Amino acid sequence: MSGSPPMIPRERCEYSAIVDRPPLKLPGGARMVVWSIVNLEVWDISKPMARQVLPAPTGVPLLPDVPNWSWHEYGMRVGVWRFFDLYKRLAIAPTLSINARVCEDYPRVAQQARDAGWEFMGHAYEQGPIHKETDQKAMIQRSMQVIEKFTGKRPVGWLGPGLTQTFDTPEFLAEAGVKYIGDWVYDDEPTVIRTASGPLVTLPYTVELNDIPMMLVQHHESDHLLKRTIDSFDRLYAESKDRPKIMSIAIHPYISGQPFRIKYLEAIYDYVNKHQGVVHWNGEQILDWFEGQAGKAGSSHERNGAAKNCRHQSADRGRRILEE
Amino acid sequence: MLPTERISYSPITERPRLTLPNGARMAVWVIVNVEEWDAKLPMPRTVLTPPAGGSPSPDIPNWAWHEYGNRVGFWRMLKIFDEFRIPGVLAINGSALSAYPAIVEAAKARRWEFMGHGFTQRNMQKVENEREDIRRTADVIEAATGRRPRGWLGPGLTETWETPDLLKQEGYEYVADWVLDDQPVWLKTATAPIVNIPYTQECNDVAMMLIQHHKASEYYYRAIDQFEQIYDDAGDSARVMALVVHPYIMGAPHRTRYFRRIFEVVRQKSDVAFMTGEQILDWYLTTGPKAP
Repeated sequence: MSGSPPMIPRERCEYSAIVDRPPLKLPGGARMVVWSIVNLEVWDISKPMARQVLPAPTGVPLLPDVPNWSWHEYGMRVGVWRFFDLYKRLAIAPTLSINARVCEDYPRVAQQARDAGWEFMGHAYEQGPIHKETDQKAMIQRSMQVIEKFTGKRPVGWLGPGLTQTFDTPEFLAEAGVKYIGDWVYDDEPTVIRTASGPLVTLPYTVELNDIPMMLVQHHESDHLLKRTIDSFDRLYAESKDRPKIMSIAIHPYISGQPFRIKYLEAIYDYVNKHQGVVHWNGEQILDWFEGQAGKAGSSHERNGAAKNCRHQSADRGRRILEE
Repeated sequence: MLPTERISYSPITERPRLTLPNGARMAVWVIVNVEEWDAKLPMPRTVLTPPAGGSPSPDIPNWAWHEYGNRVGFWRMLKIFDEFRIPGVLAINGSALSAYPAIVEAAKARRWEFMGHGFTQRNMQKVENEREDIRRTADVIEAATGRRPRGWLGPGLTETWETPDLLKQEGYEYVADWVLDDQPVWLKTATAPIVNIPYTQECNDVAMMLIQHHKASEYYYRAIDQFEQIYDDAGDSARVMALVVHPYIMGAPHRTRYFRRIFEVVRQKSDVAFMTGEQILDWYLTTGPKAP
């Protein structure tokens, strides 16, 4: 990529209408995938907090911000253990979108997730917009290495902190060995985007079925998480009669792990699990399935314009995914 | 000291069991915040922004909106504390003791606990001499009640890097600014450690009504959801639930009924202990882990 300007999103992937693509096919009679993502973060007390539940009187933000630091810390001391209980009871191993520094600062929490078989997804070294990283490439490499060292397995997925990217980010991620990203919330299905270092798959993450926008930005009542998720699920489930659908749910222990919110998260799974043909997969499982589908499609017809163009990128991974 | 130097990370699931007296499963403490807003300064919170924005001074509408709480709202809420026999905790600005003596007398008559809450309602990081502010607040509480306060809550929970050190040195025994747990915890200070008791920004009418802009009933629903979950969790080890009100918010006529309904529900459980902060402190000092 040296010398050439970074690609803008439209250059990475052409517009494609979902109705113009052949439906994917899920195995074993499944029609819908639910992808649960738990986000774990480190909020450095020496910086402004990532979010605030309580701005200081007269709104003047000053450091240190102990009230909002400790509000987030509650999620790690107490809230996340409600998540662990829930997913153990449901026998679901969600994706863990994890600031790599959690492995260093909260090894107890990271161990619990590792031992429960959760998928570790890269999520920066610590929480803050990626635009402010002085050396983004090094931060991404470091994040991947710290997680790999902790779990013994290099992550295949990545979610930017607050989904943030610069125009260069996809290149840095592909170079670091990332296979899929969650930052592009522009479709119900996985897609392929091109980078100078080979293709990346996008998985349908969500900024809407996500407790940060719902609770901290839009300030909805606690039960709104349940209502909105059911509304989304009902619609996607109906549509999944004709083509498989993926519904993601993104949660944070300092928000949905609060005592007054947890029951609505639990109720989501009670509802969803009453339906036939719903599987709970993590990001890597969705990626593996999609790659298999793309491989099949590649032998007969092109799945979309991005895939076609990605074939001309000579990266090994592109060939493996799309030309086998 | 950094927060992480004051307290190590500890998951709640891996501590020795805590047990409350008399078979109680969990404790609830209810904190009433009484503040004095200086009409010569910008208002700490506003219900109504001025036409075309800005922050004109004086800000009579927002000053009066707060003053309503101490003239009317407090007395409306007091009836609920009496009806359900709730031991109240008054987190009070030092300057409010002389501004609102009737509130002080009402709280004294009911043996409520007085907690230091800044001498004035402003960010502790903007207070010129923090130690002096903390000491003066204790002095005026002692002068009014005969006892120095044992607990402290920063205005808006704000702290500087030194606040816990200064509090301990000035004789306070617990702080409530650290909302990081469902159980009391020890915080290291420059001298001996201080206890932190679980407070809440979320079951708190400032966050719910003024920041998140929920309708009045959300206070009730969130409190009950909070209560039921903590009651359930407390089967393993005792936990503490805090409930926070400000007379100018939950004391408004359209909101008070939702505060009252909480106690109709919670009082039906005989194994829930309503306690003050210092009662929770004394229980933790007796039965909890020793200071690190």
